[in-house]
Amino acid sequence: MYQSIFRRIAVNAAAALSAAAFAASVWGAGSPAEIKIGTLYASSGNFAAISMPVHYGLKLWVDQMNAEGGVYVKPYNKKIPIKLIAYDDQSNTATAATLYNQLITQDKVDILVADSGSVLTSVAVPIARDHKMLLIDQTGTGAAFFSKDNLYIVLMSDPVSSIWPKYIADFLTTDGVKLGIKRIALLYSTNDFTGTQANAVRGFIKAANAPVEIVYDQGVPTNTTSYTVIINNISAANPDAVIALGYPNNDISYLRNLQDSGVKYKWQFAIYPGLETEHLEKTVGAKGLEYVYTYTPSSVLEYKAEFGMSLPQFRAAWNKKYGEGKVSFGFNSVAGYTTGLVLQKALAGTESMDQLALRKAIFALSGKLKTIDGSFELDETGAQIGEITPLGQIVPDGKGGLKFVVVYPHDVATGKPVYPAK
Amino acid sequence: MLEYALLAGLVFGLYFSLVGLGLNLVFGVMRIVNLAHGDFLMLGAFGAFWLFNLIHLNPIATVFLALILFTALGVPLYYLLVPRLLRAKDPEMLSIILFFGLSQVIEALATIVFGPSERSIPGRVLGSGPVQVLGQSFPAAWLASGVASALAVLGVYLYLYRTRLGYLTRAVMVNREEALATGIDVHRVSAIAFGVGLALAAIAGVFAPFMLGSVTPAMGVDLNIQSFVVIVIGSLGNPLGTVLGGIVYGVSLMFMQTYFSSWANLLPYVLLILILLVRPSGLLGRQVRRA
Repeated sequence: MYQSIFRRIAVNAAAALSAAAFAASVWGAGSPAEIKIGTLYASSGNFAAISMPVHYGLKLWVDQMNAEGGVYVKPYNKKIPIKLIAYDDQSNTATAATLYNQLITQDKVDILVADSGSVLTSVAVPIARDHKMLLIDQTGTGAAFFSKDNLYIVLMSDPVSSIWPKYIADFLTTDGVKLGIKRIALLYSTNDFTGTQANAVRGFIKAANAPVEIVYDQGVPTNTTSYTVIINNISAANPDAVIALGYPNNDISYLRNLQDSGVKYKWQFAIYPGLETEHLEKTVGAKGLEYVYTYTPSSVLEYKAEFGMSLPQFRAAWNKKYGEGKVSFGFNSVAGYTTGLVLQKALAGTESMDQLALRKAIFALSGKLKTIDGSFELDETGAQIGEITPLGQIVPDGKGGLKFVVVYPHDVATGKPVYPAK
Repeated sequence: MLEYALLAGLVFGLYFSLVGLGLNLVFGVMRIVNLAHGDFLMLGAFGAFWLFNLIHLNPIATVFLALILFTALGVPLYYLLVPRLLRAKDPEMLSIILFFGLSQVIEALATIVFGPSERSIPGRVLGSGPVQVLGQSFPAAWLASGVASALAVLGVYLYLYRTRLGYLTRAVMVNREEALATGIDVHRVSAIAFGVGLALAAIAGVFAPFMLGSVTPAMGVDLNIQSFVVIVIGSLGNPLGTVLGGIVYGVSLMFMQTYFSSWANLLPYVLLILILLVRPSGLLGRQVRRA
């Protein structure tokens, strides 16, 4: 009898040991030593100013995770350190294309993160799709990137370009009409980001059927640095409102030329006074930003973050890590950090490290994740439709500085627009 | 709009004459292509930015500093690089490779020191408010930059045509071997011309924040292309042809911005192809050969 009991115990113990060994092989030997996140950044060239803050924001998140022992990955049920593999594309799309391929085929990254902005993201979209890698698109908002038949892209941190200017158009066709705005000038840089927004502005204005007309509608190359003649041409069209859609270099040159020419439009919109306020204040000067309308960014609005750091905490962490000031804090730095937060949540929820499982995990966050960038929300194509920025106006704060006033939509407005601009 | 584009083009053209002048002087004297020209311009721009932010030094004062410093920098740099290049079989081609490398090094170092973002100097530093010229209103900083460019061009003219060193420089430009045979210290003359070329680039850089809105460490590449267009239009190797090239380029650019703004960035390449097809020696090409 004892023999039979011992035999049963021995058999059960052996079975238990086998099961444990099998589990260990699945959970232990199968888990990688690191999660490889591959990305590009532009340390030089035309897009460095929008690329580096995003990259630094992502890097800050990676360093935080690694300081805590890594990021929790559900399929392995443990925290795994992150290895960030980052290459410098120098703002060159051809270099970027080569490096995206390298990240996928040579480095075999687990997660592919695009460089910042539509231009440097555009080359990654077909490459990621061909290799069936999910492209974590940080701030490439060109509407053409997103389609129902492409499962391999998801936009993290900015709304898709086609909805960015909704509040501009809504304001001009409602409140603007009441203020007397009838003639609108539209100036844009010819790239995916601002070209898409220009199309959207035309579409929204047409759909509104309001008594406003676009009296000037011209594109300029993204590398345009001189706007004096263009400003003269815009003035000749006698607009009540001017919408200038450009990258930082465009906005800096345009607003400086505007100021130096002594021209003051009654209503002037530009993108980057809101998105990179510190940077524009340094280059254009506070005077040149006064009464300019712009997108009110997450770096100003202070959304109530339900996950990750609050805005003041992020700002403090940024200053501690990058205090030298060569890379400005602003909308793009928040965007890079937000990419990290979404990845953190997705890795904690994904069923496997398969790219489509990762996609499913990211889509599962849609409408449920609130970070310092606002509400994370995706449409069926992977385009970001949350995080829409309200229309704001930069006004003097009375102490020699500037402050933001949200003017539209009314439910989030913090003040009334100053029209015409002083 | 037409008058405004024409006048703005003239001012802008004067500035671009200055941008291309140093490159053409170096090519004319040494027959080497300084692909780092735009990067020396960028260094001048960041020098002006840095001095303005640090001690509020007016960019006009920076011009004189740039003239001295970059000429002084150019002379040893010439002796370090150029004589070796000129001993090679194909110095022109080798110079492109060597100065491309130098350009990359300068850009990388500038990015490390200054960061990649745009920097600028307030326009009011060179004069506040717009200025009326022939009934048209222009930024004061533009006009100041245009006048300074014209003075720099005049300075180069005086250097080349009114000084003994200038005569020697022109002799080297016409035929280096003959100049050597007549006892001219070709290396000394060339070294000074190289220094002056770099100084002209740096002086153009001082005005870049006002003419180009902002400056970045990566701006050199675009400026190299524009400089090439300007000097090819005027005539390669003829520094004063650069003035004509600059004005043609500036006026064309402003007309493009007025009537075909979306296509304005094609202008340098279109002009380059046109001039090479129609008049490969440049608009003043014949004159320089007979000088």
